[in-house]
Amino acid sequence: MADGIELEVEGLTRRYSPQVAVGPISFEVRAGEFFSLLGPSGCGKTTTLRCIAGFETLNAGAIRLRGERLDDKPPHRRDVGLVFQNYALFPHLSVFDNVAFGLKLRRVAKAEIIERVGRILRLVDLAPLAERFPAQLSGGQQQRVAIARSLVLEPRILMFDEPLSNLDLKLRIQMRDELRSLQRRLGKTAIYVTHDQTEALALSDRIAVLSHGHIEQIGTPDEIYERPATSFVAEFIGNSNLLPATIVERGEREVIVEIERGLRLRSAGGNLAGDGHEVVVLIRPERIQIKAPGVGGTPGHNRFSARIVTVTYLGDDLRLDLELATGQMLQGALKNAGAARDWTPAQMVQILVDPADLRLLRR
Amino acid sequence: MASEPAAAFEVGRQVKPGRRVGAPPVWAVLIEPYALFLLFLLIVPLANVALFSIHRYSPTRIALPDLTFDNYRKIADPYYLRLFARTLKLGLITTVVCALLGYPLAYWLARARPRLQAFGLFLLIMPLMVSAVIRIFGWIVILGRKGLVNEVFAALGLEPVRLLYTDTAVVIGLVNVFLPFMALPLMAAIERIPPNLEEAAQNLGANWYQMFRRTILPLSLPGLISGSLLVYSISISAFVTPALMGNSRERMAAQQIYDEVLVSFNWPSASSLALTLMLLTLALMFLALYATRRAARLERGR
Repeated sequence: MADGIELEVEGLTRRYSPQVAVGPISFEVRAGEFFSLLGPSGCGKTTTLRCIAGFETLNAGAIRLRGERLDDKPPHRRDVGLVFQNYALFPHLSVFDNVAFGLKLRRVAKAEIIERVGRILRLVDLAPLAERFPAQLSGGQQQRVAIARSLVLEPRILMFDEPLSNLDLKLRIQMRDELRSLQRRLGKTAIYVTHDQTEALALSDRIAVLSHGHIEQIGTPDEIYERPATSFVAEFIGNSNLLPATIVERGEREVIVEIERGLRLRSAGGNLAGDGHEVVVLIRPERIQIKAPGVGGTPGHNRFSARIVTVTYLGDDLRLDLELATGQMLQGALKNAGAARDWTPAQMVQILVDPADLRLLRR
Repeated sequence: MASEPAAAFEVGRQVKPGRRVGAPPVWAVLIEPYALFLLFLLIVPLANVALFSIHRYSPTRIALPDLTFDNYRKIADPYYLRLFARTLKLGLITTVVCALLGYPLAYWLARARPRLQAFGLFLLIMPLMVSAVIRIFGWIVILGRKGLVNEVFAALGLEPVRLLYTDTAVVIGLVNVFLPFMALPLMAAIERIPPNLEEAAQNLGANWYQMFRRTILPLSLPGLISGSLLVYSISISAFVTPALMGNSRERMAAQQIYDEVLVSFNWPSASSLALTLMLLTLALMFLALYATRRAARLERGR
């Protein structure tokens, strides 16, 4: 990945009304990077994308493409490709003409148009369908036409607005992988908007998690999942057990917190974000180890006894709702394999959590 | 026979639910009143007109029983050829002006917020709610020799222009009333075009004009064609507006027909003119519809 900054968004603000506003949002996208804007609907991710494309005007802030101001240019002079959620293919034009649309506007010579459109259609595996019309294509094929139509113009940045949300699950995963390998092969800078955390984690080099018009955290998928900056990020990405707690003892290598009803937990020292006294404890369900009572665990792990309340069968996974002896509820996740298959409701178990897997977040 | 309807109903049930044996199908019942209306008030009189058009004219008895095609042959006369040419020309100009004015209006209406759209539609349809005579009187006040336009011209030190009783006045008057017939189908067609097609075009490098020409225009073509057909066919048969605002010697076809029916009582000649006008309109309509269907078929890629 090159280190150059391709796109810089600085203090982007878009106000719809005194109550509804997005921003200020700031982030940088590096050249060749796959950057995702992830958040629930209404978080401002699509607005941010539309501001970059030029379909929304900023109330404040700046957008720069390789150091050059972008936000004062009209949409048709921005050189950033956008793949729309519903693809927005031109229904009156064939696949070939859809892809050639931008080239014709740029007055590219006919022979070159044929050559470039042909090349890009082969790249997305649509060459045999060049004469078809959008209505005659499947969702996945339409999607690829939309990508080809942007890609053929060789834009500086390719942007995607929830491009997979109209596809069924199997195709979504297939297109997701195709998209990723295409972007890698071409080394194209990509900005991807989605509300689907799995998609963002699987595709991105870096993710910006948005909520209520603000960025909660920017980081690699691993950082976002393992070290969420806020309880919103922890809750939005993956499943999580979040327990309010107060810090009892703050050591170099170990922090001790107390959750309600006097239960004390040990957390690794480096896991404390910020310096507040009031925190939220995050335990990922899959990091909870479940053992039969009396079986010896790793020394130094947090250990409680609990009762299995329900076992939810998810196919590849089993989700366990656990009630601690002190009354708190925790959620555990196990692979549907081996001994895990024997757990049944009402069984008494012991729970082990590695202090390294216990994140402390700002409240 | 109290039991008869029930029995019939029962028999009917066995054949097809909800339909009695021997009863006409539902669609026939539904269109029957209007079909009768059309038959007696349109088709029969039209057949009568067609009959008149192939009878010889007599100044004393209006029509003689012998058959002739003279009434049609006469249309080849320079006078009648000019009449039809002028009628078709004014219809065409009216249609073009309506399209030019109607497109931006229809685009704006189609993309306006609902409340603004409702208000715009109200303004658009308003001319249709005003009586023709009052509307035309308004235009006479504006376009007349001492009218508003000429007073403004005089104030600016310009020569007065003759507007009223010219073809220009007729076109102005026709456009005024018929604009909704162009703008409404156009608006409906543009509303069906997803707004993000416009954004996609712009994202691919089209400025607003290029976007319009390459997406909105081809995709709203069906609306333009139906609007044009409507405006064209009603303007070439217009009577009141050209009669009150046009030159009495440079007439449109409907005025000529009116004169021949009510002034010279040459019903056979008037009938042949009326039928010719009608057939011309129908022919143009079929041509336009054929062209659209062809275009639609091409679009679907067959």
